[in-house]
Amino acid sequence: MSEKSDLPTLPKEPLPPCVVACPAHTDVRGYVNAIARGDFEEAYRLAREPNPLPYICGKVCAHPCETECRRSNVDEPVAICALKRFATERHDLRKGHAPGLSVAEPKEGRVAIVGAGPGGLTAAHDLARMGYKVTVFDANSKPGGMLQVGIPLYRLPRETIEIEVAPLKELGIEFITDRRITNVDALLADGYKAVFLAVGSHLGRKLRLPNADLPHVWLNLEFLRRAALGEKIDLSGRHVLILGGGNVAIDVARVALRLGAAEVAMTCLESCTMQPAHPWEIAEALDEGVQMFHDRTFKEIVAENGKVKGVRCVKVNFRGFLPDGRPDMDEFPETEHVLPADLVIFAIGQAPDLSFLPQDGSVAQTPRRTIQVDPRTQATTKPGVFAGGDAVTGVGFIIDAIAAGHRAARSIDAYLRGIDPATVQPPEPEKLDDLQQKTISHVRPLKREEMPKLQVKVRKTTFEEVDLGYTEAQAIRAAHRCLTCGAGASVNTDKCIACLTCVRVCPYEVPGLVRGTANVPVDQCQACGLCAAECPARAITMKLYSDEDMIKEIRNAVRRAKGNGEPAIVGFTCRYCAYAGEDADVVRARLPKNVRTIDVLCSGKVDALYLLKAFELGADGVFVAGCLDGECHNHKGNVHAGQRVAHIKGLLDEIGLGSARLEMFKMSPAQCADMAAAVGTLTAKVKELGPSPVRRD
Amino acid sequence: MIKAKQKPIAEIKEMIAPYKKVLILGCGTCVTISFAGGEKEVGLLASSLRIASTMEGQDKTFAEATVQRQCEWEFIDAVADQIKGADAVLSMACGIGVQALAERYPDKVVLPAVNTTFLGMAVEHGVLVERCRACGDCILGLTAGVCPIARCAKNLLNGPCGGSQKGKCEVNPELDCAWQLIYDRLGRLGQLDRLAKIMVPKDWSKDYDGGPRKIVREDLKL
Repeated sequence: MSEKSDLPTLPKEPLPPCVVACPAHTDVRGYVNAIARGDFEEAYRLAREPNPLPYICGKVCAHPCETECRRSNVDEPVAICALKRFATERHDLRKGHAPGLSVAEPKEGRVAIVGAGPGGLTAAHDLARMGYKVTVFDANSKPGGMLQVGIPLYRLPRETIEIEVAPLKELGIEFITDRRITNVDALLADGYKAVFLAVGSHLGRKLRLPNADLPHVWLNLEFLRRAALGEKIDLSGRHVLILGGGNVAIDVARVALRLGAAEVAMTCLESCTMQPAHPWEIAEALDEGVQMFHDRTFKEIVAENGKVKGVRCVKVNFRGFLPDGRPDMDEFPETEHVLPADLVIFAIGQAPDLSFLPQDGSVAQTPRRTIQVDPRTQATTKPGVFAGGDAVTGVGFIIDAIAAGHRAARSIDAYLRGIDPATVQPPEPEKLDDLQQKTISHVRPLKREEMPKLQVKVRKTTFEEVDLGYTEAQAIRAAHRCLTCGAGASVNTDKCIACLTCVRVCPYEVPGLVRGTANVPVDQCQACGLCAAECPARAITMKLYSDEDMIKEIRNAVRRAKGNGEPAIVGFTCRYCAYAGEDADVVRARLPKNVRTIDVLCSGKVDALYLLKAFELGADGVFVAGCLDGECHNHKGNVHAGQRVAHIKGLLDEIGLGSARLEMFKMSPAQCADMAAAVGTLTAKVKELGPSPVRRD
Repeated sequence: MIKAKQKPIAEIKEMIAPYKKVLILGCGTCVTISFAGGEKEVGLLASSLRIASTMEGQDKTFAEATVQRQCEWEFIDAVADQIKGADAVLSMACGIGVQALAERYPDKVVLPAVNTTFLGMAVEHGVLVERCRACGDCILGLTAGVCPIARCAKNLLNGPCGGSQKGKCEVNPELDCAWQLIYDRLGRLGQLDRLAKIMVPKDWSKDYDGGPRKIVREDLKL
């Protein structure tokens, strides 16, 4: 299974809640940390690895990861989705859409995918990489499914879909569009050895209310589809009332506004707090002037002479849906009223069109009229036929469909190789425990970066994208909020001598002793790295960086800093402060070629040994840039870094190399640009001292 | 625990001057805890000596190893090959470890990289203080748990002396007067009457004055 590099095996240790919450188990922590370090290509690689549609997800994923983010316990979740978008925007597509992912040798067996939505595209992608010949059928003229015909353009420009689909074509996947599959058995008879049904959930539905079949009573999906395909629907002067409170209802409302409607209102059974749409979607709709009427049930479309006049409503206290699907609520007497409208759009749910399934029932359906599958394998009741996405779930998130696509691809591969598909699915990862109050109390609150958006008054008149994406400075600040859950320190108990250093230096009061050795609870560690840098037994290692990697980086930095006729200067620069924000690029540009920086997340991670190593490897001068006293992300990482610098300065004097070659700069992000000047002073001083006598070049 | 402090680099350089292949051998117990000779310090010393050696145009090599306890044959034998391959072993252990090496490897040059300083503890992180002189005849039961041998500059058994000033020692005004501490604690324990009794001279033969000491547990011998 080595060829399945696009379906990475998950590590066995407990994973951060964001990774566990993501149905595709994207290494969220990894890519957010890479952005925090300024390594944007690595961030893209990690975001792309388990997800063939990162550009799309960066814009419209429902991001269950953020709902689970443990920073919510401190202030607000990390803006994970926006960071994924940033990683895709920074990715150089000339390096390929899927850097590092392999394609296996061609294999026997053609696979038909019915539906080019996110589930179908994912399964096609995986199977093509495994070497299978894949054909994707879609009833629409362009691939994308609901992404193409459902999601409004102001949320997902169609060029974004193009970016994702083009590399799939390059993988050799055949796309047959404008072809609605009506006979699954015919596909099997046609030589396809397996079929994946990912037809989505494209049928809107109406309540059986009086006058619901009038011409000006529309359906959500039909309306969105017409708008998405560019039909010029003129709603100018119209009073539109949307029945429903979910995310699709919000899309309908905002599209109606953009089509010129004079007034757009939504009404739903749910109360303000129970409304099913995501809070951020509701907020955007409200910003744009959509009105919301909660706690209402609908009795009748009021009409006069065949023209819609409004919807007769009654106020209710809706408590949820009963198992049989009926609403659990009481109507309040004498609250009947009419919400006026001349166009009513039902947005109360959707269902898959399953009329194409074999009449013999061989592909069974659930009582909810969705395709019945084994949830572990996506296998339907018909051998060789698999299904996933909204056609199975009724309605789900894009990332759910992507995960189902991955499962189906694994299953189809197993099925075609005669293996039980249930045996090839990876186990669900274990989740880290919650943060304890004590840990939370030590974490610095950091404000969530607002997503820059198109101005509200412009938004209402155009289908231009609303979200504009982060600048680099914003993305880095946003990524710095990540708590790096679960990627912190681990103790080698064979080396630990319980000296208590880690217990004493940890700014988060995380380490303790268990059975005579130090223990850093993985679910509480904030990965500041202080304990690892201070451990006298070198018994502590950090998950996301190692001494070996750092020494390699130092070696490279020294090599690159040399050969410019100027002193070779190596700097360890904290990305949280001294080298964060808007000015990082500016400073980097201003630093001459003989100055090479190694970015670290907190100067507290800069081990005393790294400083000596830089000199040992031939640096003429070395500096550490951390933040101002009292401003360290990890409270006192900069203090420890300063003490280490002072200690090594003493050693350098003893050795005879001279302490003047090593400096610690403390500066705030705002003073970032001053670093060039500080480094200039150090360089001049080092120049006076002459080349390091350690240099051999 | 045994506390130690690294020797000045100049002294170490002088000791290792005649040798080309040097093994820097750390100890993973007391000197690690006292930040003097654990694996971390081995790395720092090795790097420092490499820098110094390169600066002086020498082609010395410095190998690094750390054993769990240099004062045990079994642990030092774990790095026997490295010891044998070196011209000299620069031990970062306490004096016991250095001597254990010298005894186990009679033909090998063994040099101390640290000064074994005292028996003590960390009163705060990075601050180590002396608490015991290993006098062989503990009187802490008489002195309210404060040792006048280790903590009084004059090792007085009947203190304080006239040099006790506002609770501090005349020898070093930063030092607490041990006898003031004893007085205060006895007071707290309601045992001030003990001070009325003159302490008789200690049996110093149990200390170094009786020559190197030895403990034999017949019941444990193999």
